[in-house]
Amino acid sequence: MNKSNQTGLIFFPAFDWAISPTHPEREERLLYTRDQIFEEGLMDLPEIKEYKPRLADFRDIARTHFCVPHIKDQVLEAHLIAAGSSLVIADALMAGEIKNGFALVRPPGHHAMKVVHGNRGFCNINNEAIMVDYLRSKYGLRKIAIIDTDVHHGDGTQDIYYHDPNVLFISFHQDGRTLFPGSGFTNETGGPTAFGRTLNIPLPPGTTDEGIHYILDNLILPVLKEFNPELIINSAGQDNHYTDPLANMNFSAQGYARLNEKLKPDIAVLEGGYAIETALPYINTGIILAMAGMDYSNVREPDYDQRMFTLSPDRKAKIEEMVSELLSVWERRDSIDLEVLRAKSEFSQRQKTIYYDTDGIMEHQTEKLKLCPECGGYLSISSQAVHHGLQCKVLCLSVPFHGCHTCKEAAWEKYEMAVNRKTYDYVYFQDRVSDTYKGFSSEKNTAWEE
Amino acid sequence: MLIGIDVGGTYTDAVLTDGKDIIRKFKTKTLHEEIMTSILNALDKVIQGEYESQIKRVVISTTLVTNIIAEKKYPPVALILLPGPGLSLDCYRYDTFTQIISGAIDYRGREITSPDESEIISAGSSIIEAGYQHVAVIGKFSNRNNAHEHFVKQIIEKKFPKLNIYMGHNISGLLNYPRRIATTMLHAAASHLFSTFCDNVSESLKKRNISAPAFILKADGGTIPLTAAAKVPVETIFSGPAASTLGAMCLSPKGQTSVVADIGGTTTDLSLILSGKPLIASKGADVEGFLTHVRSFAVRSVPLGGDSTVTVNNGKIDLLPERRGPAYCLGGPEPTPTDALKYLGRIEFGDMSRAVEAMENLASVTNSTPRETAQKIVFQSCQTIVNAIEQMFKNWEQEPAYRIWEIMQKNIIRPDNIVGVGGAAGGLIPDIAKMLNCNSIVPEHAEVANALGSAAAQPTLTVTLRIDTEQGSYTVLEDGSGGPVNKSTQFTKEDAVRLARDCLLDRAGELNMKEYLTNVEVVHCEMFNMVRGWTTTGKIFDVSIQTPQEILFYMDQGESFNE
Repeated sequence: MNKSNQTGLIFFPAFDWAISPTHPEREERLLYTRDQIFEEGLMDLPEIKEYKPRLADFRDIARTHFCVPHIKDQVLEAHLIAAGSSLVIADALMAGEIKNGFALVRPPGHHAMKVVHGNRGFCNINNEAIMVDYLRSKYGLRKIAIIDTDVHHGDGTQDIYYHDPNVLFISFHQDGRTLFPGSGFTNETGGPTAFGRTLNIPLPPGTTDEGIHYILDNLILPVLKEFNPELIINSAGQDNHYTDPLANMNFSAQGYARLNEKLKPDIAVLEGGYAIETALPYINTGIILAMAGMDYSNVREPDYDQRMFTLSPDRKAKIEEMVSELLSVWERRDSIDLEVLRAKSEFSQRQKTIYYDTDGIMEHQTEKLKLCPECGGYLSISSQAVHHGLQCKVLCLSVPFHGCHTCKEAAWEKYEMAVNRKTYDYVYFQDRVSDTYKGFSSEKNTAWEE
Repeated sequence: MLIGIDVGGTYTDAVLTDGKDIIRKFKTKTLHEEIMTSILNALDKVIQGEYESQIKRVVISTTLVTNIIAEKKYPPVALILLPGPGLSLDCYRYDTFTQIISGAIDYRGREITSPDESEIISAGSSIIEAGYQHVAVIGKFSNRNNAHEHFVKQIIEKKFPKLNIYMGHNISGLLNYPRRIATTMLHAAASHLFSTFCDNVSESLKKRNISAPAFILKADGGTIPLTAAAKVPVETIFSGPAASTLGAMCLSPKGQTSVVADIGGTTTDLSLILSGKPLIASKGADVEGFLTHVRSFAVRSVPLGGDSTVTVNNGKIDLLPERRGPAYCLGGPEPTPTDALKYLGRIEFGDMSRAVEAMENLASVTNSTPRETAQKIVFQSCQTIVNAIEQMFKNWEQEPAYRIWEIMQKNIIRPDNIVGVGGAAGGLIPDIAKMLNCNSIVPEHAEVANALGSAAAQPTLTVTLRIDTEQGSYTVLEDGSGGPVNKSTQFTKEDAVRLARDCLLDRAGELNMKEYLTNVEVVHCEMFNMVRGWTTTGKIFDVSIQTPQEILFYMDQGESFNE
């Protein structure tokens, strides 16, 4: 693997797709980025190899998500192409055609959770998670790290991997008390079987290049080194930029480029970033050059002034405190004794309420994890939401990638029981061991397989 | 009567045609150092003093500019660059005297930093000191705002009147600064010599009492009047492959999907005609290692021809990607695919006894019969070409796309026909057609396909506009011209297309092509709403319109067959 010296690039601006004409997620979003990277001639550089997007299969989506009621109801062509583009980069990387790659695509995905009732934070399906699960299914990879560098908490990705000890998820973002989606605090540290494999760094508004590089150098890079993943994914949002209209951070294109130079992600996937003129053309150029190992020192915003990017002492103190707190969580990552928990209950259970801001849907979830000492256990999620005025109740069963026979049998039994009793409108069965994805509709009394 | 002349690297061919039949044709070796003589000789041979007054037009395809650039016969050109922020300045190292000065424009044509007069003057004087006469000045995003290039030109012209200055935005308005630099530099380099050439052709036609309009063929298969060609010298590069593709097109059924294989001595050039339209390369041409903005046909060159050397490697037949002389049956030193074809009786020319000798020699070391050896050579030759054809279709399918509809509509297409031209075509094409499961066409007159393609080529003209209603301006990408538009959010796609049509008319006038502008087609028209803080503040349009890409006539020979 990785014999090549080239950086793979898919540029898919979806010039013919928008959530609505004036929505931040509209046709214009990557127009100026296109202008900049094409004018720079980046696609002609021998260090860059450009790829064509493709559509992801429904199976690729079913491997990660439970789309309610059906995948086709949640996913448009644009989503399939954005997810498919990430898969093209993943394949090119695994084939050794490229040393790393950047899927510069829209629409984004990191707010999409395991169960999907609608669009949240401009996302329907999670491009990185679909790619990570594809890599694990197709190439048998085991340990993968996802670093979320978007200004918003990557709550979707966190939800998907909360109980997965093989996926390290670290998100730094603007403090959830001041920004959508309002989560991502330091006490969200992963489920009982994956404690410490989720780390959140809520940054004070106004955090600069200096602050973000402090957490990179002192927390993210050391943790990554110890976790020793087979692949590092950058969930590459660009809205920490000092000009972003939806957030209040103080990060620069230089800061983003240097971050990618240090993080050395195998694959970066574009997430948010809505300063489409003042930030995106420069950040994207910087990231591409940094990933290609080229000199990015001449990339700068027209109003860039280095003095804007030092960190105030109070913010610095706050960040240092958080970093030491999270380091101690990481140190204690293997301290949970499952047998003690199992003695109390076979299952670990939590309730969640999830709001879909774009579609105005409220979802209530009960998530039950089988505390299996062998495979980490299967998940059973019962979820309820109102779609177009109609109450919709679903049960989702998920067998993990390295699920044991017992868990698989138990999950299947629950699926069949729910199908027979018709207590749910829809029942889903997701078995990543055999790559099988089934569904059942009580109303129509029909079953299907993706 | 129409005349087409193609001056290629090896052969020059000419035809006189009425659009239905070929009245006269002529083919001879090119006199490399005397391209003018080659053209006039070919012209005289097809006219023979008979048809001067009936000639409606003359189209010439020539390698002149290719030769000028390949052999570095051009005067040196100094560069003044305004790259501004972005890629490292180390990326702008060229094999010529280069001055990088300050001044920067952004992607919407807004000034970031202004150029400095004293820097410009000092760049100018160092260029004079270094002994240059020609200067190309190119700014990043000068296609969005050419004020800096004009500013530099004005100052240099005033201070150093001896310098000839060329501006990047006049040469190409497409995005891609390094390509704009290369294209402008080559333009400046070839301009003077090519202009002299055009004048000489005009003069010679006048002397022969030919008053019909004359054209030069471009790499994109379009023609440009001789009187305007001097404005676009670099676009006339690679007109040879365009000529052969158009020639094959005019000798095959209209509107179908065909592969054109021009099987020469050393290489086979492949091009595609998709549903009757030649495939244009998605990126500009690579001219002697310079990546340019020149639009050209997508041509793939396979290092296999009728004269490729055949050897034996570990007891197996091997085709080498090189030519060591003519075929053995034509007195050459080594066995070749041509010898195999001769042995199998698929071609008429050549000495059979030498072909037999060549096959027997190879057979003795491969433990097979001469016939099996010959068949093996033909099979491997065909296989190499078929693989390249498959790859070409795959590459076309894999071209990057930036819109959903482009990804959804691109189907897998395979050819209806393979059209072969060139010496060994008759022997190989039927087998290749079988392997591709399509029709084999080896047309009559294939030997003058290039001249025929030139004769059939039509003027083409494209304009691409970037309209920015928030800035209140538009620019024409092809020549950097532009002007104001109303700062209105009411501007519609229809307005954009109308403006593009007006610009096309202007450009046609400038290139003396107005009379050929009968109908135009909209290639694409994209609109982007500019939203700042939840309100629409303007619109950006990318519009491209062109004259349809058609040839003047088809000579359907009714000879296609499927074995």
